[in-house]
Amino acid sequence: MESTISLKTKGKGKGSKGASSSDDKSKFDIVKEWSNWSLKKAKVATHYGFIPLIIIIGMNSDPKPNLFQLLSPV
Amino acid sequence: MADLLPPLMAAQVDAKTKVDEKVDYSNLPSPVPYEELHREAFMSLKADNFEGLRFDFTKALNQKFSLSHSVMMGPTEVPSQSAETIKIPTAHYEFGANYFEPKLMLIGRVMTDGRLNARLKADLTDKLIVKANAQITNEPHLSHAMFNFDYMGSDYRAQLQLGNSALIGATYIQSVTNRLSLGGEVFWAGVPRKSGIGYAARYESDKMVATAQVASTGAVVMNYVQKISEKVSLATDFMFNYFSRDVTASVGYDYILRQARVRGKIDSNGVASALLEERLSMGLNFLLSAELDHKKKDYKFGFGLTVG
Repeated sequence: MESTISLKTKGKGKGSKGASSSDDKSKFDIVKEWSNWSLKKAKVATHYGFIPLIIIIGMNSDPKPNLFQLLSPV
Repeated sequence: MADLLPPLMAAQVDAKTKVDEKVDYSNLPSPVPYEELHREAFMSLKADNFEGLRFDFTKALNQKFSLSHSVMMGPTEVPSQSAETIKIPTAHYEFGANYFEPKLMLIGRVMTDGRLNARLKADLTDKLIVKANAQITNEPHLSHAMFNFDYMGSDYRAQLQLGNSALIGATYIQSVTNRLSLGGEVFWAGVPRKSGIGYAARYESDKMVATAQVASTGAVVMNYVQKISEKVSLATDFMFNYFSRDVTASVGYDYILRQARVRGKIDSNGVASALLEERLSMGLNFLLSAELDHKKKDYKFGFGLTVG
């Protein structure tokens, strides 16, 4: 009986140790996932926002050009 | 006394010119950046020949900001398994915006199919420059980006490169004398797991430039450029790969005239090419490009106009 109890507790201990090691692995995985997610968002933001960013910075530089100059082909 | 003074002055002048000719090792000039090692040779030998029509219109809104519209129509090569090159006629329009400031440069180009080509160059301090270059497409896994950090010392330059799919590279170039600079590079690529190391040397005077570069990927490149006069320079280039035993030698010229610039080269692969840029009037440039590949029987001709 005692041996079985001890076996059970050993089993529980092993189980909990296993859980904590998988927690550590998943922390690293969480960091990788988070960096992948942020890189994807950065790629989409750059893809849509880079040219508008240049236009905004350019339209605010001095001498300030006006909107007609931006849109007209001449 | 009057007799003594002129010889002393003469001696000082002589000593000064002698010092100028002797190398002042504590005050060497900054070398060219490692990626521009071959720039004089590549100006004649790697001119951008194109095929089809090219029209570029750049509209400056103020001194720092400009927009550009470009149209390109012509056959583009598609990589094919067989020896024949397959060309598909395409046409595209590219819109671009540029912002130039002494410390910040932003260039963006977007095509009709959604491809963005973005470049950034920022001077963080007067010795540290950060550059970024990205090509972003809508298709997944086909985009790539590269970041470079350049540090410019008094007579050396060091650069660190970080690329998209785990690509890391570093280059270093040092001025050894007024005319000779030596450099090296090392890179490590994650995806095809390989790393490489290379060395380069550049010797220049005001009439000639000679460079040599060896890399552990097997590529050896040597070139020599002689500036014959203000208007003419000739260049020759020799590259071989000691693993694949590929050899190419080429000879080229670059004529810079008042209203035109002609660059041409002939190759040991049987390729003869030329590019003419003529200034028709202020801000209007006419381009003619021809490339004849006699070995593959591929003849490419292009013409274009650049406004602004």
